[in-house]
Amino acid sequence: MTNLASSTRTSTPTRPTSSRRRRRHVDLLPYWLVLPLAVVIVGLAIVPAAFTAVEAFFRVSALDPPTRFLGFGNFRALLDTPEVRTALGNTALYVVIGVALSTILGIIMALILQAPFRGRSLVIAVLILPWALPGVVEGLVWSGIYDANNGLLNSVLTSLHITGGYSVFLGPHRLLTIALIELVQVWQITPLSVLLILAVLQIIPGELYEAARLDGCGWWGQIRRVTLPLARPGIAIAMVQALVATLNVFDQPYVLNGAATTGSSLMMQTYFVSFQNLDFGAGYALSLFITVATMLLSLGIVRLVYRRVEF
Amino acid sequence: MRRGNPVARWVGIGFILLWSLIPIYWAVNTSLQRDVDAGARPANYVPPHPTLHNYASLLGIGGVASDLTSQIRRSILNIFVECGAATILTVAVAVLAAYAFARMTFRFGRVLFYAVLVTMAFPAYTTLIPLYRIMTDLGLVNTYAGIVLVYISGFLPLATWILYNYFSSLPRSLEEAGLCDGASRLQVLWRIVLPLARPGVISTTIITFLAAWAQFLFPLVLSSDSSTQPLTVVITSLQARHTIPVTLLDAAGVLAIAVPALIALALNRYIVSGLLTGSVK
Repeated sequence: MTNLASSTRTSTPTRPTSSRRRRRHVDLLPYWLVLPLAVVIVGLAIVPAAFTAVEAFFRVSALDPPTRFLGFGNFRALLDTPEVRTALGNTALYVVIGVALSTILGIIMALILQAPFRGRSLVIAVLILPWALPGVVEGLVWSGIYDANNGLLNSVLTSLHITGGYSVFLGPHRLLTIALIELVQVWQITPLSVLLILAVLQIIPGELYEAARLDGCGWWGQIRRVTLPLARPGIAIAMVQALVATLNVFDQPYVLNGAATTGSSLMMQTYFVSFQNLDFGAGYALSLFITVATMLLSLGIVRLVYRRVEF
Repeated sequence: MRRGNPVARWVGIGFILLWSLIPIYWAVNTSLQRDVDAGARPANYVPPHPTLHNYASLLGIGGVASDLTSQIRRSILNIFVECGAATILTVAVAVLAAYAFARMTFRFGRVLFYAVLVTMAFPAYTTLIPLYRIMTDLGLVNTYAGIVLVYISGFLPLATWILYNYFSSLPRSLEEAGLCDGASRLQVLWRIVLPLARPGVISTTIITFLAAWAQFLFPLVLSSDSSTQPLTVVITSLQARHTIPVTLLDAAGVLAIAVPALIALALNRYIVSGLLTGSVK
């Protein structure tokens, strides 16, 4: 731009020439700055996602080319597969347990941390730990807690005489297996829920609580009438984050329960179908189903829970 | 919970601390015991004879190295190489792009920005199968480059979003002053914007590194041999061999969580600000 201005002032060209020159000096810098991102996002995110969306409707098998259009054939075949139907039910349980528990715990912990106290930043640092650790290693760590021979849970339960002896917790009972596996994921995702809800709680004006107290509200009334309604934006986002994580759960059931159908999730079936059976078409179909379900349910939560809040 | 019962408050705080720490404590506790001690019923809640034997076995310290040792050592190297490279490249690309989006108007800029945001809405595994097939076609399976590229594609949207919000919140006047003094746009970015945005860059770096360290399914699919398998993948393959004692497994687990745990404890305020920027706005 400086050059252009200087050039204009020096040579006093006619307006048409000046206009033509200005067009030739289009600033290319922003294009260079975004080029690496564009290449990566288009080549390794958008194009692959398009592959998933398109090839879910084709028969794609590394063992038996060529690729052939199947319409909804992949989806029908998957629904006819017992393991996939079980995984669908399991995943629904993971989602319900995971979203409900992490949201409730998130709200409770955020309320505990809402008012400042000495050492709060240390408590928050400890709170964040489960979020920061690899999910697959968390599964390994918790498998030591659930272990049938050496586990902490068995030790405590028998010491307190709640159970008569050491038990196998993962595998025999479907609901118990899923609840215990999902507890591990809840342990991992709750810190984010707490932070999101706490961030919103921090900006609720104190005057609203004083007004509620003057109206005769006790502790629980203040939570019901002031805190929770105004925390809805944070709660909605926390629920969406929890939904995405639980609907796509893989690490925890993979480590805690292996290939067993009990506790297997849709994402695990996607892995088995694609990378053990090498049926990529079916894998694409499962993957597409999970993606669409994630997006639709996320929109549903936002629609139901989110409220714009202004002070 | 304003002016609630202080006893209830501290019980709640105790609950938060116990909820967060008990599983980690249990893994550390088990890893510091010999097999016979770890098999006690009821369990030893504190190691009766604390020993670092399990860690020495894993890392091959003070003894003959085994296959297990070389596998663990290699996977530790792999996870640092892969996470380090992915983090540096992701943050570098995100800084450049976020600055352009936040400060420059250019054709297709808005479209590309929304495309980036849309990819944040995809569940992470939407691209798992096609990325595997793309990397196979490119000959990048079992290479650092393949894993790093996949990580970058997964982490770049959030990193860009966090930094975009950060750059947008900085006052323009300082940059305009620099431009008036004859500095180029890139010089302004390097000398004025980045120093001011240091907290945002640190947040983005930490969150990207932790996300990379936590990866399991992508490297599981993209690494079929130990040349590139990160620690997370090797640990699960150990667990699948039922001959490995729980004491050794927990020691391996503690090794895998030590780095992210230290980062989280030491730098948690950057994590908090980055997460909230990334999730709320």
